[in-house]
Amino acid sequence: MQERERIYVLSCFVENKPGVLARIVGLISGRGYNIQTLNVGPTEDGTVSRMKIGVLGTEKVVNQIILQLRNCVNVMEVVCRRGR
Amino acid sequence: MRRAAREQSSGGRTGAKALVESLERAGAQILFGYPGGNVIDIFNLLPASKMKFVLGRHEQGCVHMADGYARATGRPGVALVTSGPGATNAITGLGTANMDGIPLVLVSGQVPLSEIGTDAFQEADMSGICRAVTKHSFLVKSADEIPETVAEAFYIATHGKPGAVVIDLPRNVQREICLAQYPERISLRAYHPECPVPPGSAAALAGLVNRARRPVIYAGGGVIASGASADLKALAEKAQIPVATSLMGVGAFDTRDPLSLGMAGVYGTKAANAAIASADLVLALGVRFNDRMTAAFPPERGVKTVHVDCDASSIEKNVPVSLGIVADIKDVLTTISSRVKPARHDEWLRRLAALARRSPARRGTKGIAPADVVRSVAAAVGGDAIVVTDVGQHQMFAAREFPHSCPRRFISSGGMGTMGFGIPAAIGAALAMPGEKVVALVGDGGAQMTAEELKVAADERLGIVFVVFNNSSLGMIRQMQERYFVGNFTNPDFMALARAYGLRGVRVEKAADLDRAMARAVRAKGPVLVEVKVDRDARA
Ligand SMILES: Cc1ncc(C[n+]2csc(CCOP(=O)(O)OP(=O)(O)O)c2C)c(N)n1
Repeated sequence: MQERERIYVLSCFVENKPGVLARIVGLISGRGYNIQTLNVGPTEDGTVSRMKIGVLGTEKVVNQIILQLRNCVNVMEVVCRRGR
Repeated sequence: MRRAAREQSSGGRTGAKALVESLERAGAQILFGYPGGNVIDIFNLLPASKMKFVLGRHEQGCVHMADGYARATGRPGVALVTSGPGATNAITGLGTANMDGIPLVLVSGQVPLSEIGTDAFQEADMSGICRAVTKHSFLVKSADEIPETVAEAFYIATHGKPGAVVIDLPRNVQREICLAQYPERISLRAYHPECPVPPGSAAALAGLVNRARRPVIYAGGGVIASGASADLKALAEKAQIPVATSLMGVGAFDTRDPLSLGMAGVYGTKAANAAIASADLVLALGVRFNDRMTAAFPPERGVKTVHVDCDASSIEKNVPVSLGIVADIKDVLTTISSRVKPARHDEWLRRLAALARRSPARRGTKGIAPADVVRSVAAAVGGDAIVVTDVGQHQMFAAREFPHSCPRRFISSGGMGTMGFGIPAAIGAALAMPGEKVVALVGDGGAQMTAEELKVAADERLGIVFVVFNNSSLGMIRQMQERYFVGNFTNPDFMALARAYGLRGVRVEKAADLDRAMARAVRAKGPVLVEVKVDRDARA
C-alpha cells in the first residue's frame, strides 16, 4: 500500500551562520525531495534563525528528513507539523 | 612594526602558524598533502612542524592516504590541499571517507576573502562543492577563528557518527595575525551527538535475546568504530549467537571463531544470508542495511529485527525494526552483558554450519583462481597483516577468503566503492602502523587509477606488497554484463611500471609459482608489486 503524501511544515531553529541555509536546503533537495515553501527569519536571539520548510512527502520520508536535519551540526531543534 | 611586536608579545602569530599549531594540538601526526599558491604560507612552516608531511602525487591520493591512516588507527586522518583544482581533486576522497563514517579533516586553501565570488584564479566554491560528501565544513573568515575551528573540526569528525570535515582557509586569513589560543574544551551549541543508552532499552534487548531460538548478530562498521569487538565476542560466546558481518564489519568478529558466518550481502556467504533470512531475531549492530547487503536477504524485517546505531537517521531508513536503540554499541553491549543468560542453540548452529560447508567455490578453469591468490597471501603473512583492497571482484574475494581476525585490519571502500582507493589507502595504513605488514589487493583497473602514488611507497620505503589481480579486464563489470563491453581496456606492462616507480616487480603466471613468490614478496623490506595473471572467467 502506497503511503499518502502530504505537506509537512518543519520549523527548524538553526545557528545563524554562513552556509547553514544552503546546507539545509541541499540536504533536503539532495535526497530528491521537493521544498514547497521556505521562510527564513530571525528570532529574538540574533544568533539563532528560524526556518519554516514545507515539504511534500510520506510520513516515513519526512521522518527521515527530520532525523537527517537533527544530525546537521548547526541545527538546534526541528519541530514538525502535519499540513494538508 | 611596533604593532607586529605587540602582537608577538601577546601570543600573536600568523593564521598559517596558528593552523599548524592547532593541527599539532589536535593530535595530527602525519599530514598528507599537495602544495599550491593558496597554501604556500602553510607549506613554508611545515619543515619546522612536529607533524610528518607526506607528499602524495594527486590530491585524491592524499585524501585516501589520510583515510587509510584513519581506518588503521581510529584516529582522524588529516590532509592539506590547495584551492580550486586541489580542492576539487579531493572530493572523491572526502565522499569515500564520509560514506564509511571515517574521521577525516581536510584543510583546503581558498582565494583571499576579497576575491571570493570574482572567479579568481583557482577559485572554487569548496563549501558548496563538498556539502554533499562531508559531515560538515567551515569557511574561515578571520585568523582568530582558526584554533577554535580546528578543534571543532576534529570534534565533529570523531564524535557521533564519524565523518569528513573540511576547513576552507582563504589565503589572506593565513597571513593575518591570530591572537586566539587553542580552546581547552569544546562545546558546540547545536551539535550534541552523545547518546546514552535509553532507560529500559537494555532490559528489552536482553529479554529478546534470552527468548530467541534462532538469533543472529549482524555486525557492521559501527562495531569497529565504537571499539566493541571484544564485547561482541563476549556476547556471542555467552549466548551462542552466530555472527555475520557487513563488508564494513569485516574484522569486527574473528572469522576463525566457530560462531562466525562470514560476510553477508550480495557477495556474502550462503550461511550469513540464510541466517539473517531465517533467524527469529536479528541483532543488527552498527550497520546501515545498505542495498548491497539487503538484496541478499528479505529487507522486510520488522518484528524480529533489533537495530543499534549511534545515528538515529539510520534506524528504519531501509528496513522496519521492532526495536531501535540509538546509542553507542559498546555502551549497549556492556549494559546488557549481565542480563543476557548463557544459552545454546545447537540445532540452529548445526543448520548454519551445514550451509557453510556447502558454500560453493565459484571458479573458472583458465589460469589462477583469484580466491587462491588471497589464500596464498594469507598463508604468506600467516593470517596476520593489514589487508587493504581496491574495488571490484578481488575486493569480494579478499573480504571472503582471508582469515580476518581483528578490527582495523581489513581496509576497503564500502559505501562509495571507490576504485583507486587501494594503493593510497595502503600507504596511509603503512605509515600509520610502522612495523606491520600491509598487503594491498588491487584490480588491474583500479591500479591504473592511482598508480602514481606508488612513488610515495617507494620514497618512504614502505614494506607494502601490492598484489595486482591481472585479469585483463574490469572484472566486476564483465561479471555484470551479458556481453562484455568497456571500450578498449588494456594494461600497461606492470613490471615496467613497478620499475619506473622504484618498486621491485614480480610477475606470477603459473599457480605453481604463486606461494613461493608471495612468501618472498612478504619478506622483502621495501615495496613490491606482485602481478598475478588470474582467471578472467572467475565470478566473485
Ligand atoms: C571510481 C570508480 N569508477 C567506476 C567504478 C565502477 N566499477 C566497479 S568495479 C569495476 C571494475 C573493477 O575492475 P578491476 O579494477 O580490474 O578489478 P576486478 O573487478 O577485475 O577485480 C568498475 C569499473 C567504481 N567502483 N569506481
